[in-house]
Amino acid sequence: MNWISALGPWQWLMILAVPPAVLSLYFLKLKRTELAVPSTLLWRKTLEDVHVNSIWQRLRKNLLLYLQLLFLALLIFACLRPGWSGQSRVGERRIYIIDNSASMQATDVSPNRLDLAKKKVRELLSDTSADDVGMVIAFSDRADVRQGFTKDRNRLFSAVESIPTTSRGTDVSEALRAAAGLANPGRSSFDNLSDIMVADAVPATVYLLSDGAFGDLGDFEMGKLKIEYIPIGETKTNNLGILSFAVQRNEDKANKLEAFARITNRGDQKVDFTASLEFDGKLLDASAGSVEAGEEAGLLFELTDTDEGQLKLTLDYEDALAVDNVAYAAIRPLKQISVLLVTPGNNALETALQTPRVQQIASVQVESPTFLTDTKYIDATLNATFDLVIFDQCSPMQMPSSNTLFIGSVPPQVASPKPIEESKEDTKIVGWKFSEPKGPIFILDVNRSNSITQFLEMGAVEIVEARTVEPGESGTVLMTSSDGPVFGIAPRGPFQDAVLGFSIVQQTNEGSARNTNWWARRSFPVFVYSVVEYLGGGVTESSSPSVQPGWPIGLMLSSRFQDYRVVAPDGKTTDLIRGDESRYTFTKTDEMGIYQVFAKAVEKPVESFCVNLFSNRESDLAVADSVKMGYEKVAATNSIVQARQETWRWILLAGLLLLVIEWVVFNRRVFI
Amino acid sequence: MAETSTIRSSKPSSALLSAETMAKLERMELVSRKIFRGRMKGERRSKRKGQSVEFADFKNYVSGDDLRFIDWNLFARMDRLYLKIFLEEEDLHFYTIIDDSMSMDFGDPSKFFVAKQIAASLAYIGLCRGDRVSVSSFETSASPVVIRGKSSAHRLIGHLESLTCVASACTMSDSIKRFCVKNTGKGIVVLVTDLMNKTGYEAALRMLVAREMDIFLIHLLSPEELNPAAQGDLKLVDCEDGDQREVSISAGLLNRYQQTLAAFIEQAKSFCNKRSITYVPARSDQAADVLVNEYLRSKGLVR
Repeated sequence: MNWISALGPWQWLMILAVPPAVLSLYFLKLKRTELAVPSTLLWRKTLEDVHVNSIWQRLRKNLLLYLQLLFLALLIFACLRPGWSGQSRVGERRIYIIDNSASMQATDVSPNRLDLAKKKVRELLSDTSADDVGMVIAFSDRADVRQGFTKDRNRLFSAVESIPTTSRGTDVSEALRAAAGLANPGRSSFDNLSDIMVADAVPATVYLLSDGAFGDLGDFEMGKLKIEYIPIGETKTNNLGILSFAVQRNEDKANKLEAFARITNRGDQKVDFTASLEFDGKLLDASAGSVEAGEEAGLLFELTDTDEGQLKLTLDYEDALAVDNVAYAAIRPLKQISVLLVTPGNNALETALQTPRVQQIASVQVESPTFLTDTKYIDATLNATFDLVIFDQCSPMQMPSSNTLFIGSVPPQVASPKPIEESKEDTKIVGWKFSEPKGPIFILDVNRSNSITQFLEMGAVEIVEARTVEPGESGTVLMTSSDGPVFGIAPRGPFQDAVLGFSIVQQTNEGSARNTNWWARRSFPVFVYSVVEYLGGGVTESSSPSVQPGWPIGLMLSSRFQDYRVVAPDGKTTDLIRGDESRYTFTKTDEMGIYQVFAKAVEKPVESFCVNLFSNRESDLAVADSVKMGYEKVAATNSIVQARQETWRWILLAGLLLLVIEWVVFNRRVFI
Repeated sequence: MAETSTIRSSKPSSALLSAETMAKLERMELVSRKIFRGRMKGERRSKRKGQSVEFADFKNYVSGDDLRFIDWNLFARMDRLYLKIFLEEEDLHFYTIIDDSMSMDFGDPSKFFVAKQIAASLAYIGLCRGDRVSVSSFETSASPVVIRGKSSAHRLIGHLESLTCVASACTMSDSIKRFCVKNTGKGIVVLVTDLMNKTGYEAALRMLVAREMDIFLIHLLSPEELNPAAQGDLKLVDCEDGDQREVSISAGLLNRYQQTLAAFIEQAKSFCNKRSITYVPARSDQAADVLVNEYLRSKGLVR
């Protein structure tokens, strides 16, 4: 005998409280009406035999009480749903896949598409027999198994109820794969068709409740899955959406910004709209426009005297989907990378650092090697004033607290790898190997995957002499010469050190002599710019990056600070986890809006990024008539599932009510 | 439902005796099954020999006898002196005791009022026949009002009207005991009561029996007691001692009540019969003159 509870804990508490209540009604003294009588003499004699022994005497021969208790016991027994295991059979397997992507927030159906989908699932659940097992999967751009196979309908109900709304995109394939994997458990691989099934596949019915805003599923094989596609939403729904919103600096006019937005009209008629642009919460500009049905339109806002801040573009147009009527962008502060160049004299390098492109993003300070012994340098390194220090033909005693580039010199290093030091800022580099300079060499290969060297063409570069540079286990070789690696980069705590094995200019006793002809090549200023941009942690675009909700974002942040935290639009703060190569990854991007990155010590945000729903597919609210599953087309189930209205609870209530009425009548009875 | 509902009646305003009733009563006469000695000369035969028209016996003359009662005719024939003895006619002592406990104050008209009507009727009959009528309640049993003569009827009525139900600690047996101590004479006692006495009525009746009186017990019950119309869950409050009984009225309970009531009446009846007490059951919704005219006549109290 096994038991399945048909009721929730609260319902159980309520129903278990009924029998004691019934008993107590018999026991407890009623509020009786007082009636004065000439004498209770006769009544006393009449009642004597009733009051003979104890209170239990009162219950003696009280047939109604026993009937009532029996009724309640049967009722509770029924609610326990007694059954026998062993002969029990598993009924149909049903998998409910519910779309909770951004487009499901559309209000073209009441109250919205997701709630309607939940309601339909509830109806479907009510229609299942007790043996059927069900599973609930929610999907947006990823699948979320809310409830594995279970017969317990209450858990399925609560799993359906708990599905949250998201602003994410739509990708049903993962959900279908999860459904297929759970439905056909014998299969260990989907790619290998020769995989032997170790268990019989159990056919399952998939109820796919979606607006169909997902692409074809390629070669997805349904196998034993029977897919019922239940479209949610109206086929013709007007919707206006923002597809992109970006801010650019005007190349010609300094201090001027252009905000550009692309608006799409997914309805079937021309729409006139107004768009308002807010800057830091204040209305800055508004623009009117119109879009033809199925077309896109652009909007341009010219912004002057706006240095940094947050922009919010709102379409003042009532449509079914509200989330795509808002877009966010953040104007980044014009931040200068501060670069220190320590060189005994290197015209080529200095010239390369004075190109307008570099000047736009960086301020360069040039010092001679004697500066390294100056107290200013020590102060500057301790205070992390510089984002990047370039040591040309010279080397400090201690490594500065910043990213470094050594050109033709060897950084101070520890011979043998030491255990991890307690101090966070390493003053020496560890694990590098350098050889004595030899020459001539030429460059064989350049690491194209690294930002510094990805655009370099080193084919025709001649080098008189160079030392090989091996950056150790954690480092990356960026250039390989005929003798071996000559350019490498490796992390040092929060910083990165790059060492170039050959100098551009060699200081000799006869003066400066050129060590290479690279300086005259076009790739040299590109190299210098890349070094400044990458090692300087520079942010060069005026508009913050934007990602779709739920997508991770990689942040390049200055190595000057150790810890960063991100403040989400709703005010939640998250500490950033440092990834490889001083890249920070942030994943909690479900909320739309502007996220600000703060360094621990600095009040102003050092970086910001936006989360926007720029999705043509989500903005398209038209419900697909059919979905293509691999090679099969699944048409919408147009016969709406017959809704089963549950009435047993009401009957139960009526039974309890009847019990109460019966009790009252029985106790008021005179002539029964 | 909070307020106490009651079946207590308002005081009836009608007079105890109507003129019509009084006219009927004047033709009646109280009948005693026993012959008692009276106190004064009256209309009743007495055990005492005395002066009346009713011949009783002859006796030999002894010196000192009253010469007026010598039967001269007999002397002429027998030549001996004989005295004629006549039965003495004396008054009858008629006592009415009304139960004035609070339980009598129920019914419409109240049992107490009906009891007073009965007492007034019987006493008026007695007054008309020159009997010595004594009216008292339990409370006033030690100092009853004693009246003679029809002309004093207004005193009787006035006294009866002044009687009210009292919540006294004095029980029935106490009252009867005091009555017996104070009234040494013999005669007819009419006790009007509902017998609703938790300490029992037997002791009181035994005391009266011991006085060798001609006892009539009028057991007066109200319709509320005979057929309770109460319904539902009730808390019954005894108006005398405040005793509370919780009952849930049901058909079964009402049946049991009727059985108890029947047993109670039967017990009282059999107790009375064994002791030559005339038991007269009466209902308070029955007219008092009907009771006196028809019912008590059939029981032999009046003629």
